[in-house]
Amino acid sequence: MNTSLTTEEVRHIAKLSRLALTDGEIEKAKEDLSTIFEHISRLSELDTNGVEPLDHPTELQNRTRDDTVGEVLSQKQVLANAPAAKDVYFDVPKVLGGDT
Amino acid sequence: MSTIQERDTFNAFHEYWDLENERQSETLQGMTLAVKDNIVTKTGTTTCGSKMLEGYKSPFNATVIDRLEDAGVVLVGKTNCDEFAMGSSTEHCAWGPVLNPWDRTRVPGGSSGGSAAAVAARLCQGALGSDTGGSIRQPAAFCGVVGYKPTYGLVSRYGLVAFASSLDQIGTFTTTVQDAANLVEIMAGFDELDSTCREEPAPALSKNLHDSIEGLRIGIPSQYTGSQNDPAINAAITSAINTYRELGATIIEIDLPLTEVGISTYYVLAPAECSSNLARYDGIRYGHRTDKPCKDLFELYSNTRAEGFGTEVKRRIMLGTYVLSSGYYDAYYNNALKTRRLICQEYHIAFEQCDVILGPTTPSVAFKIGEKADPLSMYLCDIYTANTNIAGICGISIPCGFSEAEGKQLPIGLHLQGSWYDDARLLRAAQMFQTATDFHTKVPECAQ
Repeated sequence: MNTSLTTEEVRHIAKLSRLALTDGEIEKAKEDLSTIFEHISRLSELDTNGVEPLDHPTELQNRTRDDTVGEVLSQKQVLANAPAAKDVYFDVPKVLGGDT
Repeated sequence: MSTIQERDTFNAFHEYWDLENERQSETLQGMTLAVKDNIVTKTGTTTCGSKMLEGYKSPFNATVIDRLEDAGVVLVGKTNCDEFAMGSSTEHCAWGPVLNPWDRTRVPGGSSGGSAAAVAARLCQGALGSDTGGSIRQPAAFCGVVGYKPTYGLVSRYGLVAFASSLDQIGTFTTTVQDAANLVEIMAGFDELDSTCREEPAPALSKNLHDSIEGLRIGIPSQYTGSQNDPAINAAITSAINTYRELGATIIEIDLPLTEVGISTYYVLAPAECSSNLARYDGIRYGHRTDKPCKDLFELYSNTRAEGFGTEVKRRIMLGTYVLSSGYYDAYYNNALKTRRLICQEYHIAFEQCDVILGPTTPSVAFKIGEKADPLSMYLCDIYTANTNIAGICGISIPCGFSEAEGKQLPIGLHLQGSWYDDARLLRAAQMFQTATDFHTKVPECAQ
């Protein structure tokens, strides 16, 4: 498996990750990520044919609770850590008109 | 007596609380305990060592905090950690690196380095940490204290800020196995707020702790010793094996061939879960938000996250995003999940042959600050600890010797791993060693 990344690939990953990186950070990330991928690509040397993936050590199935209202946070508590809040709302910049 | 703040010359703490109530006690009632800064507390702030959460005040306590306070434990403050618990040195903390109390030019290990340093320097009697791939056991080894990661699901994760949810586990730093057993016994048990918490009643851990185990079978994997370890570490492990043999244990050679591939598996699974968990930091509801003018939501997110996160966290988010992206999902993520099952099977076979698995916690003693600038060399520190989390079994690091370097004594950790929910037996095996040795009573010069 080819594990070295191109600058364009790293830019794409940064975009998917919602990280605005500088050109310098992109180049450094390219170098570091390529080294790391070279190491972790050793996974492909292992024969995993027919092995069922295990995504969680407990293998628990969905656990549901009774549909009753419990203790909840107040609106004031919820808004207390907001970078900006107005009355009973989170205050956010105008977002319509963008392409995302 | 001087306060914790006056004695903390290691940057172990981010916040100090309740100084007037500070007191030492032999019982749990009044035991002084520090809390890793990624476990939420209504008192003070919870920053995860990140600018992203600077000043964040949790409106609720983690379940473990409520249970410990109800039991009379005195919480003394929040300890520094690698940002969002990602790291093996506590150098990646927005509030500066933590220093190792045995040698201030060296790291305390990580990510729970502040908790390990606080207990090593006897600033408090115990500390909470979190362990995702070794973040309790590795710093415990580097700082010469007891670090215990319970079996996954034994202790509620509610209120532990998520890094990799299928691997994360809250555990303890203490000077004795007894204190670890006492603390985890209080914290363990079902919590309906954590849907991965085990429903069965938690096992009694402190009862019968001092009764030695008749016919204890200790497995030694050939993969855990060899030239990859410091010679002093191999010597300390050989000596620990002899101690157990003298105590009547049976030593069995076992095979864990997936030890090395565990690191590759871990550095696919943990970043994948991290990239998903850390998507919540968007600058809208809490945490940092960029001041830069943004033309749309995408820019608001991207600038906020670029400013709020440090280098290592960004690297892991990108690693995780890549291994989960279309075209690479099967080759990396799905393949790592298959390997995860093979690693579990390997442990199942091993625990049919033995009761506990013994080896070193780390291949080297505490390294110099700045020594591991290359991220991969830092990742390889987790070689003996990552598979414990991948399988979800329990593990503990206890002091078992010292290695001298530049006139300083550097602690060595003995790593014991136990089977799923076999924590009581793991702790008894660890206690047998502490009863027979005095390594855990050694303190660094600064604490004498």
